[in-house]
Amino acid sequence: MRLFHGSLVFLFIVLNASCGNDPKENKEDSRPPHDSVLSAQSEPPVGNFAAVDVSPMDMSYFPVDYPKLKMANNSIAPPVARVIYSRPHLGNRRLFPDILKHGEAWRLGANEATELDLYKDVSILGGRVKAGRYNMYCVPQIGKWTIVLNSNLDTWGLKQDSTLDLYRFNIPITTGLPVQEFFTMEFEKTPKGCNLDISWDDVSGKLPLVF
Amino acid sequence: MFMKKILAFTVFFIGLQQLVTAQPVLPPVDKSPMDVSYYPADYPLLKIQEKTSEPCVARVLYSRPKKEGRPIFGELVEFGKLWRMGANEATELELYKPATIAGKKIARGRYTVYAIVNEKTWTIILNKETDIWGSFKYNQSKDVLRVEVPVEKLETPVESLAMTFEKVKGVPQLVVAWDNIKVALPFNP
Repeated sequence: MRLFHGSLVFLFIVLNASCGNDPKENKEDSRPPHDSVLSAQSEPPVGNFAAVDVSPMDMSYFPVDYPKLKMANNSIAPPVARVIYSRPHLGNRRLFPDILKHGEAWRLGANEATELDLYKDVSILGGRVKAGRYNMYCVPQIGKWTIVLNSNLDTWGLKQDSTLDLYRFNIPITTGLPVQEFFTMEFEKTPKGCNLDISWDDVSGKLPLVF
Repeated sequence: MFMKKILAFTVFFIGLQQLVTAQPVLPPVDKSPMDVSYYPADYPLLKIQEKTSEPCVARVLYSRPKKEGRPIFGELVEFGKLWRMGANEATELELYKPATIAGKKIARGRYTVYAIVNEKTWTIILNKETDIWGSFKYNQSKDVLRVEVPVEKLETPVESLAMTFEKVKGVPQLVVAWDNIKVALPFNP
C-alpha cells in the first residue's frame, strides 16, 4: 500500500516537473517580471468596478483563524499578527527560474505590497520587532531567503525602496516539498510563539516569531 | 539485487511520503477572494509611479462573493436584515485620518462595515469590533455610525461584489456595487 502511495507521489512529481516545459510558457514570459496580474481575467470589469484579480488577495491571522475564534468567544485576547498578501499561482511555470531569480527582491505576493500587521512587540531571530504595520518582501538566495520588513506602506509590490528597510532576517528554506500551485502564507503555532510559513512550488521557509 | 532496488525505492517513497505528511495543510484559494480598494483610487500603483497628488485617506478590505446567476437583493441578501457586505472575514474600512460621514466625525482607525439592505435604501453601519468573521456576532453597542443611503440601479449587472472609491463633485465616496444595485457613502476627510 505504501509503495502504491509512493508511486502516486512519484508520478505526481514527474507530471508536475514536466509542466515547466509547456509551450504556453513563452507567451506568459511577455508579462512584466514577477507579475501575474496581466494574464486573462476571469470576468470583465464593469464600469469602474474592477474584475476579480487573477492573483486574489488573502489574509492569515495568528492565532490561526482568529476572526472565527473571536466569533465564538468575544472576550478573546487581541490577535498577535496578520498578513495580507495576494496569491499568484504557478500556471505551468516553476518558481525557479521562471518566476524568481536568486538575489533579486521578490514581493512575497502580487499586486499591492504584502503587509504584515503586528498587534504587539515580538522577537524574530533574536531581534525585537515593534508592534505596527510593515511592508514585507524577500530576497531569495540559494539555500536561504532574506525576509525584509520595510516602512514603505500602501504601495505596489513591484518596486521596493530599500532605504526604508527596518529589519532583515535570514531564514533557511526547504526544497523538494509537494508542489503548491498557489503562493501561500500561513501562521502555525510553535512552543514559543508562531512561525509564518511561506510556501510556493516545492519551496518553503519559516519566519519564527517569539512572544 | 532486484529486491535491493525495490527496497531502496520503497525507502525513498516512504521518505517522500513523510515529507508529504510533514507539510501542514495549507489553505486553498477562497471562493470569494479578498480584495482591497484605496482612496485615492489606485493609490499603491500611483505611489510607485510617483503620481500621487494627495495622501492616502482610506482603504477597504473585503471579500467578493459572486452572483453566479442568483437573484441577490431581496433573495440571497434579505431585505431588512443585517448583511456582512462581503464574505469570510468582516469587511474592514480603515480611515488614515479622521473623516466626517453624514455630519458625524469619525476618528482614524479600523472599522468593520455592515449593511441593512432595503429596496430603496441601505443602512450602512460602521462598527468598532474588528478582526472578526462576518456579521454572525454583530454587536450593535459597538456601532460608531449608522447612515441611510439611497439605492441606484445599474444597467449592467456586476458579477462579483465590488467596492471602489470615487470622487463625485469634489466629495470622495465609497461605492458598493453588486448585481444591478449600487450605493455610495460620501465622506469628507
